[in-house]
This record gives sequence, C-alpha cells and structure tokens, in this order.
Amino acid sequence: MQKKICMLGGFAVGKTSLVRRFVQSIFSETYLTTVGVKIDKKSVVFPDKTVDLILWDLAGEDDIGSFRVSYVRGASGLVLVVDGTRAATLAVALTLRERAEAEFGAMPFVLLFNKSDLADRWAISDREIDELRQLGWQIYLTSALSGEYVDDAFRQLASMVAK
Amino acid sequence: MTSTVDPISLPKRAASNDTEIDREALATLLVEIARNVDPDYRARFEGVPTADPRMETLRQLLVGREISELSRVTHLLDEPEQLAAAVGGVLPSAAARAPHAQLGEALAPAVERAVQRSIQKSPRTLTDILYPVFLPAIRKSIGEKIDQTFQSLNETLRHIFTWHGLKWRFEAWRTGASFSEVVLKHSLVYRVEHVFLINRNSGLLIAHVAADNATSEDPQLISSMLSAIQDFVKDSFNEKEQSGLDTIRFGELRLWSEVGPFATLVAVIRGNPPEELHEIIRDVLLRIHDECSQALEQFDGDSSQLASVETQLQTCVELKQEDSNQGFPWLVVAAVLLVLIPAGGWFFLSWQSGQRWQAYVSRLETQPGIIVAEQKVRDGQFYIAGLRDPLAADPQALLSGTEIDPARVHSQWQFYQSLDPKFVLQRLTASLTPPKSVRLSIVENRIVAEGEAPDTWIDRARAAARQLSAGGPVFDISRVRDVSPEARAAEHWQTYVSRLEAQPGIIVAQQTARGGHFYISGLRDPQAADPQALLSGTGVDPARVHSQWQFYQSLDPKFVLKRLVASLTPPKSVRFMIIEDRIVVVGEAPAAWINRARVASQQLSADGLSLEISELRELTPQELTHLREAIQAIDIFFDSGKAIPGPEQLPVLDKLANQLKELAKEARKAGVTAQFMLTGHSDATGRETANVSISAARAETVRALLKKRGVDPELLLVRGAGTFEPAETENSRTGSSANRRVSVTVNFH
Repeated sequence: MQKKICMLGGFAVGKTSLVRRFVQSIFSETYLTTVGVKIDKKSVVFPDKTVDLILWDLAGEDDIGSFRVSYVRGASGLVLVVDGTRAATLAVALTLRERAEAEFGAMPFVLLFNKSDLADRWAISDREIDELRQLGWQIYLTSALSGEYVDDAFRQLASMVAK
Repeated sequence: MTSTVDPISLPKRAASNDTEIDREALATLLVEIARNVDPDYRARFEGVPTADPRMETLRQLLVGREISELSRVTHLLDEPEQLAAAVGGVLPSAAARAPHAQLGEALAPAVERAVQRSIQKSPRTLTDILYPVFLPAIRKSIGEKIDQTFQSLNETLRHIFTWHGLKWRFEAWRTGASFSEVVLKHSLVYRVEHVFLINRNSGLLIAHVAADNATSEDPQLISSMLSAIQDFVKDSFNEKEQSGLDTIRFGELRLWSEVGPFATLVAVIRGNPPEELHEIIRDVLLRIHDECSQALEQFDGDSSQLASVETQLQTCVELKQEDSNQGFPWLVVAAVLLVLIPAGGWFFLSWQSGQRWQAYVSRLETQPGIIVAEQKVRDGQFYIAGLRDPLAADPQALLSGTEIDPARVHSQWQFYQSLDPKFVLQRLTASLTPPKSVRLSIVENRIVAEGEAPDTWIDRARAAARQLSAGGPVFDISRVRDVSPEARAAEHWQTYVSRLEAQPGIIVAQQTARGGHFYISGLRDPQAADPQALLSGTGVDPARVHSQWQFYQSLDPKFVLKRLVASLTPPKSVRFMIIEDRIVVVGEAPAAWINRARVASQQLSADGLSLEISELRELTPQELTHLREAIQAIDIFFDSGKAIPGPEQLPVLDKLANQLKELAKEARKAGVTAQFMLTGHSDATGRETANVSISAARAETVRALLKKRGVDPELLLVRGAGTFEPAETENSRTGSSANRRVSVTVNFH
C-alpha cells in the first residue's frame, strides 16, 4: 500500500535533512530548487502490511503565497515540520496546513518540532506544545542529526493513513 | 369475556376525543369480534349480516387516523401535479443516495432516448454542450495525424534515394504495402521499455510493467515525480488544459503519456516510435478505464484491486519494432539488375535519341523560313513535315552535328515564300540587283533601301515594292536618291570629251566632273575646231563647262597647210597637196607670192617640215606687183591692248584705202581679182587667247574702217595671227609696238 504524504514547513526548518537520512531517495536535492518538489519514499513495515509513504518534499519558502498547493492534491497525510529554534516557523507550518486542508479537506498529519538537539536555542515553550497535544495532535520533537523520533513519527503517520 | 352489552349500540357513543380510543367501546367490539370469529359464536348469533357495521366502527376506531393519512397520500398519488411536485422535491437527494450502478443502469435507457430525441430535435444543443469536450480531443487527434503524416513524409524523403530506399521499394512492391509504410516500418526502430499507470489525483503508482532487461529506479518514486513534473509544467505556464504533458524526450528516450479520467498511462520508449503508437497507448488506457473504472476512481494507494491492469499494460510493453538484420538478398538483386541494366540501357538510348530529335525539331522551329507542321517518332524512325522557304537553311544540312542518323529521318517539305523580312530582303536583292551605291537593310520589320540610284532602278524597285504581298514587310525606297540627271550629264560629258579627243589639233590633258561642273584643260591649235562650238548638240550645259586651253602649233601637215593657206593666201591658180608629210604646192602664182612661199618654206624647214614650191610658175603683171608691194608695206599700228587704231593712223588708213581701191581697179582691168587679207597681230604680252582675240579684233576694225573708206568689203578678208607672225622678235616683256599692227597681203585670183 502506498500513500502520498506531503512534507510542509517554512524555509530551512530541516525537512530535507529529516528525509535525507531516513528515507529511500533517488532524486537529488536540486529537484527542490528546480521543480520545487522532491519525491522520496519511506517504507513502514507493520506486522500485517507494509505502507510505502511517498514523501513529497515541497520547497519550503518564507513566502507562503508562492506555496504550490496543487502538489498536495491526492495526499493522504501531512508531515508538518517546525524549526524548534524559530518560533515563527510554527505559524508557517500551521498556515500551510490550513491552506492544504482548505483546498483538499482534512487529512491526518504529524507535527515535528525539529532541531531538538539545539536545546540551548530552543524557542518553543513546553506549554505551547502541550496545548497542541491537548488538541489530539501527534507531535514529535525530532532531530535530524540524531534521528531521534523520526522513525516514530513516520510510523505513527503510516498507521494513521493506512487505517 | 361474558359481557352482555349490546355491541351494536356501542359505536354510537362518540369517542371522548379523536386521538384517544374509547377503551370501553373497544372492549365491547373485541368481544363482538371474538364472537364473530369463533364459529361457535357464529352459530349462536345467527342473522349477523356479512357487512357488519360494527367492523367499520372498529376500523374507524383502530386506524381512523391512518385511513385519513392514507387517503391524503392516495389523493397525492392520484393527482399527477401534486405527485410531480412531491417527487421533484426528493429526486435529487434520492438519486444521490441510490447505488451508482443500479441508478446508472436504470437511467441509461431513458438518458439514451433523451439524448437521441435531443439530437433529432436539434443537434446543435448537444454539439454545443459537447464542444468543450470534443474540441481538445479533436485538436489532439488532428495534431497527431499531422505529426504522423509529417513523420511518414520525413522518413520517406530521408530514405527515398538511399540504398535502403531501393530495397524497401522492392519490399513494398513485393508485399503490396505503400512505400511510406515500409519506410516507417524499417526506419522507426523502437521499443517500449516501461509502462506506468499512475493515479491522476495523487500521482501514486497503480501499476508498472517493464520490458525484459529494462531497468529503472523505484517506479513508485518515478511515477510520483512524473506527476509532480506534470503539475510543475501546468503551474509554471498556467496551462489550463486537462491533458497534461504528453511527450518528454531525452535523447533516445521518450516518455509518452496519455491522460485518462482517473489514471495517466506513461510509456517509456527507446528509439523512434511511429505516431500511431499514441493511438495504441490510448486504446490500452481506454480499455483499462472501461474495465476498472470504479477501482481506479476509488484508488487510495492499494493496488491489489487492480491486478488485472498489468496484463493490459503488458500488451504495451511488448510493442517494438526491431531493425531486421536479414541477410541481403544478393541473388534477387543480381537477377533484378540483369533485367534492369539492358532495359535501362535501351530506355536511356531511346530517351537520348528522342531528346536529340526534339532538340533538332526545336532548332528547325527556330529557323526563319521553316515551319514544322507535324513531327513524330515511330519505331525509331523520325517523321517531319512542314513548309520551308527556298532561301531558308537546308533542314538536311542542319542534321549534321546532331548525331541523328539521317537515314532514319523522313522529311516532307513544301516550298513557300516566307514573309520573314530576311527572306523578302534576299529575294529583293536577287531580283533587283541594286547598284553598289544602294544598301538594303531591315529596320523594324521593314526593308529599307538607302543610297543613290538612277531613276530606272528606282522605278523597278518601286514596282517590286508594289508587288510585295500584303501583310509582309514594307519595302521603303524613299531614302534612295535619284542620281540620273548627274549620271546623264556625266555621260554627255564623256561623249563630249571623246569628241574633243578625236579632234586633230586638240589635246585633252585633264578633265574632271565635280559637283555637277566639268573642268577640262589641254592644248589646242588655233586652227583646230573651237571646243566651245563642239559643245552644241552634246547636251552638256556650256555654263557648267570650265575650259582652259593653251594654244600651240600643231605639226600635223594638215594644220601646217591650213596655217600656210591662211598666211600665204594663195591665188586660185595654186593648189596644195600633202604627200607623205610633205606639202607640195603646184600651179602658177604672182612672183611676190612665190617669194613669200619660199620664205615660208624656209621657216618650215627649220621645224623639220618641207614645203615644196619647185612646181610653181610665176604669173602676176608688173604694175600690179608694184602696187601690191606698196600696199603690203603698209602696217596699221595700235596702242597696247587697243583694237582701234589711234588718230595718227587715220591718214595711213586713208592712203591704204585709196591704194586698195586702185589695185582692185587695176586687177580687174588685168582680168584678175585682187583680194586683201588683213592680218591682225599682237605683241607677246598677256595671255595667248587674249592676244589671238585682240589680233583678230584689230583686223576686223581695220576692215570696218576700210569699208567705211569705200573699199569693197567682199575683197577684204580678216584673220588674227596672235603672236605667231611677229614683225620683229620680242626680247623684252614690255612688248613691241611694231608687233601691235594689222598687216595687209594681196592675192590675185
């Protein structure tokens, strides 16, 4: 079973780094700058099935207006990526999600606060994260550097979209 | 249940209200029903009517509200308008909730009929509706057809003159296929390596089939990336078209995609595929959509439902056209060549001789004066017929150098006269033989004669011009100058000149005719005929003649004799004869005359001439001789250039007149006639002609003066001697007064 997943997030939040180490990829990162999208695959194996997450890594831009929402068509889930050291990127990720859902309806997502290894520069308060968790959101504090929780996040999303 | 209440009376009591059932009445009724239902009761209660009104009462009690509701519904169903309104209210949501397949099946016939009806009524409506759907499809289809045609044309052109082309032409002939089909078959070598069926919505791979040995990266990623690129192009260039990217080409590799309603089929082709492949791919996609429409529409990443699709895709992957490397059919080619070479050679030769013949015919056609009416080639023989002017080039002669065998040429020429100016000119030249001074030329289709010609030729030319055929060139002779007057004058002049030349004592030294005037110069003896006088009757205008004559003494014996006779005035008894250049005088004469003859004889002998006077006998009486000598001693003198003697000469003239009259009288007595020759002389100054004239004039004057003084003019003869008989020799140029005189000689007859 395959599922289209879109990775959304502001500029330089670490989407590309997240996938670089943990996914199967055949396309170089220049696709992001040329075509604006790069496709990677993450296979998540469950006891009864294997879910292939086809990850659409959309070029993150600060200018939300230039976000190509058409790339989200047909997606089964979203990976929202936030740079934990830049509070503003949370708003960007949420806005991108809103735009995608406005266009294509609600869909499962996981919210990743990335760069958890940079604890000294962390800019998101635990309270804020808790509040979001209260909403029932699946939130992970990940580090592309250490790989912490990255697999968990994908596994979580895979189980959500494969229901 | 043993109540005795009369059930029939019960229904009469009205229920407390409509909604609540009268329990008591109901109970009574139920007992009553039980009684009716039980056969025992029936037996016991005979006479109960079949339509028991109590039943109706019971019904009213039990389902009274339902009945009224039912009647409302029945009424609703019976009233079509109300029913329509009611159904119309629920139809959209009912249709939406109905199972798709069943609804589709139920509606299909009705929709078909409706569409059919609509088309029958007005095809326009449906056309308008479908227009946006059809137009892109039609456009695409036409585009592909055109591409296909171009591809076919391109390939055909590319190979038409190659070795392959020849080979394929043979194959086309052998298999009955068109040449372009064969060319495409061979030149379009391709292989479909991969086929991807991609969900149009999510870009997820539905199915992928690869050809043997064909490798690729993860098809799932590829399919997503392909649709990402489709989206990229669509977004980047704002393309509204639903079709998407249909061709991507990368070197040898081509990606052709066909877009269906739910899925896109992408074929990865290596090589040069024919355009028809588009149609094949589209057909496969259509079939897939037909078979699994629902599964495709509901595809959510699980392709297990769509396993059957792969077999369809497999048909695409099997498509290929491989370059056939069959052994070259040398034997066939050799056999064909064996037939073709002689046939080609024969064709070439007959073509070449045909070409040569055509070249010859066109050369003939360009010849002036030759009209080719008919020509043909049959069995290697050439036939030609037409008209030709006798003056035109000889068709036979034109054959030489054409490499056409003259023996195979059969000509039939009719002669005619061409009106071509060149030929007319030739004919005119031959018939008119124009003089050298006339030049004939062709000026703008006219024949123009220029120059000078006598009137006789001009008359002939004019006649020829009149006889020229109408429609032919004009013969213009207006520029020929008539030179006959001059010619005639020249002719007359020549006659005159030859007459002069025939004259003794005249030597023509030079003569020319220039500008209508004639110039002549030469020598003449004063005794010779007067050239001026000879002009009369020759037709030469004397005013145009300019003569310059030098006088000279001709040594011709005849002239010598003339001069002698003139100077000696011999008496009648004397005769002169010319015997072999000698002049012989015979007869008798007065002694004085004989003396003079002797003197003359002596003078002549100095010039190598001889005058023989030995035969003469003396005659004259003495008295006359005296008188004569007295007279002959008298000279009348003149001033220079004057023809009239001065007054001092008048007494001399008087005396001379008296002596002449006396001598005449005495001579008459003696029986002879005295004759007086008055000879005028001039000095040597001035021109000879003038001198001769003045000498004669002087003699005439003296004669007139003597006549005036009574001398019988019959006896007076006159001559001018010029300077030839001078009284004294002149040494100086001043002239001699002694020589300007008139002398008198006396002759007796």
